[in-house]
Amino acid sequence: MKSAPENRQPLTAEQERSKRRREGWAIGVVATVVAALTFVEAKLAAIGGTVAFTDNIVIFALINLNVILVVLLIFLVTRNVFKILLDRRRNILGAKLRSRLVLIFILFSLVPTFLLFIAAANITTTSIKSWIGGRVGQALDGAMKLAQGRLESEAILLASVAQDAAERLPAEGAAESGAEAFLAARSIVPHGVALLLVRNGEPAVREGEIPSDVLGELLSRVKERMGGTAGADTRTLIGERYAAAWYPVAGEAAVVAVRPLTPGETAMVREIAKAYEEYHQVRLLDDPIRASYLGVLILITLLIVFAASWMGIQLARQITVPVQLLAEGTEKVARGDLDVSLDYRSDDEFGTLVTSFNRMTGDLKAMKGSLEEANASLRQTYEELRRRTQFIETILDSISTGVVVIDRHGRIAMINKVAERLLGLPTDRAIGQLYREVVEEEHYEAIRGVYREAGEKMGGQVERQVERQVELRVKGRKIAFRISLTALRDDAGEYMGLVAAFDDLSQAMRLQRVLAWREVARRIAHDIRNPLTPIQLSTERMQRKYAEEHAGDPVFAECTQVILSEVATLKHLVEEFSRFARMPAPRLAEGDLAEEARAVVETYRTAHPGIEWEFQAQPMPPVWFDLFQMRRAVTNLLENAASALGGLGHVRVACTFDPLPGTVRLSVADDGPGVPPEDRDRLFEPYFSRREGGTGLGLAIVSANANDHGGTVRMRDNTPRGAVFELEFPARPEGKG
Amino acid sequence: MRVLMAFFTLSILWPCPRWAMADPKPPRVGDVSGSIQGNVARVRFTLRDAFTPEMVEALKSGIEITFRSTVKVERMYRGWFDQKRGEVRYTCSVRYDALSRVYRLHRDDGNEILPDVNEALDRMTRLEVSVPVWGEIERGKPYVASVRTRLDRVGLSEPLRSILFFSSLWDVETEWARGRLSTP
Repeated sequence: MKSAPENRQPLTAEQERSKRRREGWAIGVVATVVAALTFVEAKLAAIGGTVAFTDNIVIFALINLNVILVVLLIFLVTRNVFKILLDRRRNILGAKLRSRLVLIFILFSLVPTFLLFIAAANITTTSIKSWIGGRVGQALDGAMKLAQGRLESEAILLASVAQDAAERLPAEGAAESGAEAFLAARSIVPHGVALLLVRNGEPAVREGEIPSDVLGELLSRVKERMGGTAGADTRTLIGERYAAAWYPVAGEAAVVAVRPLTPGETAMVREIAKAYEEYHQVRLLDDPIRASYLGVLILITLLIVFAASWMGIQLARQITVPVQLLAEGTEKVARGDLDVSLDYRSDDEFGTLVTSFNRMTGDLKAMKGSLEEANASLRQTYEELRRRTQFIETILDSISTGVVVIDRHGRIAMINKVAERLLGLPTDRAIGQLYREVVEEEHYEAIRGVYREAGEKMGGQVERQVERQVELRVKGRKIAFRISLTALRDDAGEYMGLVAAFDDLSQAMRLQRVLAWREVARRIAHDIRNPLTPIQLSTERMQRKYAEEHAGDPVFAECTQVILSEVATLKHLVEEFSRFARMPAPRLAEGDLAEEARAVVETYRTAHPGIEWEFQAQPMPPVWFDLFQMRRAVTNLLENAASALGGLGHVRVACTFDPLPGTVRLSVADDGPGVPPEDRDRLFEPYFSRREGGTGLGLAIVSANANDHGGTVRMRDNTPRGAVFELEFPARPEGKG
Repeated sequence: MRVLMAFFTLSILWPCPRWAMADPKPPRVGDVSGSIQGNVARVRFTLRDAFTPEMVEALKSGIEITFRSTVKVERMYRGWFDQKRGEVRYTCSVRYDALSRVYRLHRDDGNEILPDVNEALDRMTRLEVSVPVWGEIERGKPYVASVRTRLDRVGLSEPLRSILFFSSLWDVETEWARGRLSTP
C-alpha cells in the first residue's frame, strides 16, 4: 500500500471532516440512486411488455448506470475501510477503536445478510425446481388437453353441421344458390352456430353472427387448409374464441360452421393457454431465471452489506471522532497547551462531553493565569523577603555581636557568623535544630537560667529584653559573654521566639587587665627603680672600700656580688615593666609586613639552627603597621615558639591576606607540646608564664600590640600537635586612605 | 488497492449468465438478390443460423420471436461513394399458439398461420421485401441491396419479463450482406 506523497500538504482537521462529509453524502446519494434505479428498471420491465431487451437503450443504460453506481458504492466503502486499516497501522489516535467498531458493524450486517442470501437462493432454486418438475406441469398439460378436447368435440359436431349444409347446396352453381340453401339449412343449424360459405378465400354467404377477427382468422386458416392435403380429421378448427369445422364444396369453395365462444369460455380458455405457455417458458428458461434471481439477490445483498458497512463507518466515525478529538485535546492539555478548543457540535452526550472539555480547558487556562499571577506575586514577595533576610543577615554578619534567633519551639531559626564562631556552631547543622541539642548542657542551662531569672523577676511573665553577663564554656574554654535575650511577640502578644545576642567580653576584660597591669607596672617601676640605683651604687662603693679589708672573706664578695646581680636583674625587670607601662601609641605607616616578618624569621633561623623555620607569604597590598611594635610582636611570638621547642622542631610562619574583611593574619605554628587548656584563659595576661625565668610579658605585649593595631591575637591547637598563634589586624585601618 | 478494487468489480460481474455469451456459430444473411421494377426493388434474402436449438425450443414454448431486417438499396459507383436509393425496415415475428397448435406469423406485408414449425422457420428465414426506391433507375447500372437482420424482441410472458429484465436471452445480429439487383 502506497503511502501518501511527502510533498502533499496534509489536510487540516476541518478539511478532513469536510471531505468525509462529502464522501458520506456521495455514498448516501449513490445508494439511494441505486435503489431508485433498480425500482424504475423493474417497473419499466414490467410495463414494457413488447420492449426488446437487446434494443432498449434506456433499460441498458439504467442497468449499466446501476452497476457503475454499485461499483462506486463498493469503491467508496472499501476505500473508507482501507483508510481505517491504514490509520490503524499508522497508530493514528482513535483508529483502533474505529476499526474495531467498523469490523463489528460489518460482521453484524455480513453474517445475517449472507445467511439470508444463501437461504433465499436455496429457496428460490428449490421453488423453481419443484414448480417446474412437479405436478403443476402435469396439471397444466391436462388442463390444456381438456380445453383442446372440449373445443375439438365442439368442432367435430360442427363438422357434421358443415357437411349437412354443404350437402344441401346444389352441386352446380353453389355460389349463386348458396344463400337460399343456407336459409333452408337454418333449421338444422344449432343455436349459436353460424354458417359461412367461403369461395376463393373470401366470404360469399354468411348466416349468423361471426366476430370480425374470428372471421379473418377462419378465412386464413381455411384457405391454408384448402391449399394443403388435409383429410377429414383436419377439417376442425379451434381457437381461443371459437370452434369451427369446414367442408369443401365444388368450385374452390367451402362451408364453414363456426361457434364463437362466450366471453366466459374465451376467458377460461385464454387463461389455460396463458398458464400453459408461461409454464413452458419457465421450464425452458430455468437457468436464466435462476441466474436472474441470484443476480438480484447478490445485488441486494451487496447493497445491504455495503450500506450497512457505510452506516457502520458513519456510526463508528460519530463515536470515534469526538473520542479522537478528546484524546488529542487531552494530550495537548497534558503537554501544557491550554488553548485547545475542540470544534465538535452535537446534541448528544459526546457534544456535551466536548462542551464540558472546552469549558474545563477554559477554566484551567483561567486558573493557570491566576496561579501564574499568584506565583509571580509570591515570587516577588519571596524575592523581597529574601532580599530583606539577606539584608538582615548581612547586618548580623557585619556586627561584632553574635545573634541567635530561636523560634517558639526552641529551634534555631537564624544564626550569624559571629555567633557561630563564638558558640562554635556551624550554620549548616544548627539551623532547624533544637538549641539545647546543639550547645553544651552548661551553656544551655546558663541561658535558661537567665531566661528563668528574668521570668521570675517579672512574676512569670518574661520581660521583653533581659541582659546578663555570664561565663560559658565553649570547646573547653570559658568565655565571658554579655547575653541579651529579647522575647519576640506578635501583635497579639503571643510568644514567637527569642533573640539571643552574645557579646564576647574576653577581649575587653583582657584590655582592662592590661591597662591595670600597666598602671601597676608603672608604679612598681617608679617605686622600685628609685632605690635600686642607690643600692647598686652603695654596694659598689662597699666593694671598692672594703674589698681589701675583706679580701679573704668570700662571704663579703659573694654577698655584694649577689646584691649587684639581683639589682641588675631587678633593674632589667623594672626596665621591662617600665617599657610595658610606657608603651606609646602606635605610629602606623605603610609597609611590607611579610618582608619584615621574613627578616625576623631569618634572624631566628641563624640563632636557632636546630629548628626548621618555614616561611610562607601570600601576595598582599601594603599594610599599615607600627614597625617597632610589629617587630617586637613577631620576635616575641618566635621567641615563644623557640622556647617551646627547646631547640628542636619545626616552626611555620605564614602571612596571609583576606580581602573580604581586608585583614592580614600572621600566624606562627609550632609542633611543640602546646598549651594546656587550663592556661589558655590567662595566656595573654601579663606576668603569666610557665617558663622558668620568663617575665610573662611577651604574649601580653603581643596582645597589647594587636589591640593597638585594632586587631586581636588568639591561640589554637596545631595539628597534630603544638600551638598556633594568630595575630590578625586590619590591613588598612579606618581613616588611612 | 487498485488490484483489490478490480477483484471486487470482477466478483460483481462474475454472476453474468454464460448463456448470454456469443453463440459459436454466428447468424448471417445470405443469398441476397432481387430486381428493380419501376420504383420498387424486390429484395430476396435468406437468414442462416438465426434460430438456435434453444430459440426453437423457446418458440415451441410460446415465446414470440421477432426479427427486424434493415434493407437498403444503393446505386454503386466505381471509384466513388455508393448512393443510397431506398431503405426499409422489415419486421417478421412468429409465435406458437399452443391451443390452436399453429404458428402465427406476423409480417409487415401480411400474416400467416402455419401448422408446422419447420414451415414457420422457413417462412421466418426466407424473406422477400419490397423497397421503394427514389430517383431514376438507370438501366444496366449496378444496384446492390444490403441486408442486416437482428433479433428485435423476445416476447416473454409478463411474469418473466419482470424476472429477466436484467438480461437479453439471445444476441442475434448479422453483419451486412450485399447482393446485386437486376434492373429491367
